[in-house]
Amino acid sequence: MIQQGKANLMKGVVGKIILPVLLLYSAVGFSAERIGMVKTLEPSASAIREGVEVNLAVGSKIFEGDMVVTDSDGTVGITFNDGSMLTLGPGGKVVVDNYLFNLSEKKLTFLSQVLKGTVTFMSGAINKIAPGSVRFKTPTATLGLRGTKVIIEVD
Amino acid sequence: MYRLMVSNMNAIKFIIWSLSCLLFACNSTTVVLLPDSDGNVGQVELITDSGKTVLDHAYESAEAEKQKLPPTQKVQLTNENVRDKYGDILAKGPMVPDHFRFYFKAGKAALQAEAQEVLINSKARIQERKSCDLSVIGHADRVEGDDLNYLLSMVRAENVAKALVGMGIPQNCMDIRYYGESYPIVPTLDEVDEPLNRRVEIEIR
Repeated sequence: MIQQGKANLMKGVVGKIILPVLLLYSAVGFSAERIGMVKTLEPSASAIREGVEVNLAVGSKIFEGDMVVTDSDGTVGITFNDGSMLTLGPGGKVVVDNYLFNLSEKKLTFLSQVLKGTVTFMSGAINKIAPGSVRFKTPTATLGLRGTKVIIEVD
Repeated sequence: MYRLMVSNMNAIKFIIWSLSCLLFACNSTTVVLLPDSDGNVGQVELITDSGKTVLDHAYESAEAEKQKLPPTQKVQLTNENVRDKYGDILAKGPMVPDHFRFYFKAGKAALQAEAQEVLINSKARIQERKSCDLSVIGHADRVEGDDLNYLLSMVRAENVAKALVGMGIPQNCMDIRYYGESYPIVPTLDEVDEPLNRRVEIEIR
């Protein structure tokens, strides 16, 4: 009995602690904090992050709390870690207030504000696994999304 | 700490913005529900302080002019209406993610012969998309214990990741995850053999 217990403990220690730590070291290049990435951009957009304006480029990382802004001719497309996609049209302002995509702890949330302009959004794994976890706020309404693709225009 | 302050500031700004909408003419919200790339249609609720409108058919639309008024009744638009008005932004979005799957023998983490073709196709897509943004996600069925299956799903994901690295895909492009028995494709009772759940999924963004 005790031998079996020890064997299980070893398996547990190896499986849950040692190997994941080794794995973490091997996956260091992938930032644990970024929630998405800019995929399309025409011609320019920026993100306001902790009070600082950052010019975006294709491949730029997006973080929780970022306010993404376009001028009168810019359109930017972002894909998030769960495969959902958001595009912001010209003269737009959108903030991703809360983004949680943690399947191990079943923490799934997507909460965003569209302050002005037009946004298209296509849902991904967060919505698939936890429908109702994706919500948008605008100056005049709240939107509860249960899949799949929406256009949200604030004018 | 600073991030908490900033998100509180965003919340405060939003509250001030909303209050000013009660007093002055404000931005109106229009919503249109569209099918996704597979043709599926979900649902969206448009909610104000006084009511809500639910859209659940493709190209339905509704509007919320003021927070204190209920949203408008929904209207049915057509694909053409939507292309006319929103064609530009719809054309400028990201490419829909690609998905590939690898399957495994019971209790094993070694790549099967069939994996070779999937690897070649995955690599081709990754290169076509110029993507350095992929998830490699390991799973197991419910035969054997949770701990063992957690480990098994991890080694499966690792093996696929190693194979991709071997084909020239940089390791730092991959987000490697593993969920043991959780998130099956086919939910089963415990100890049920289910080949479809013994898998690794790749998402290419």
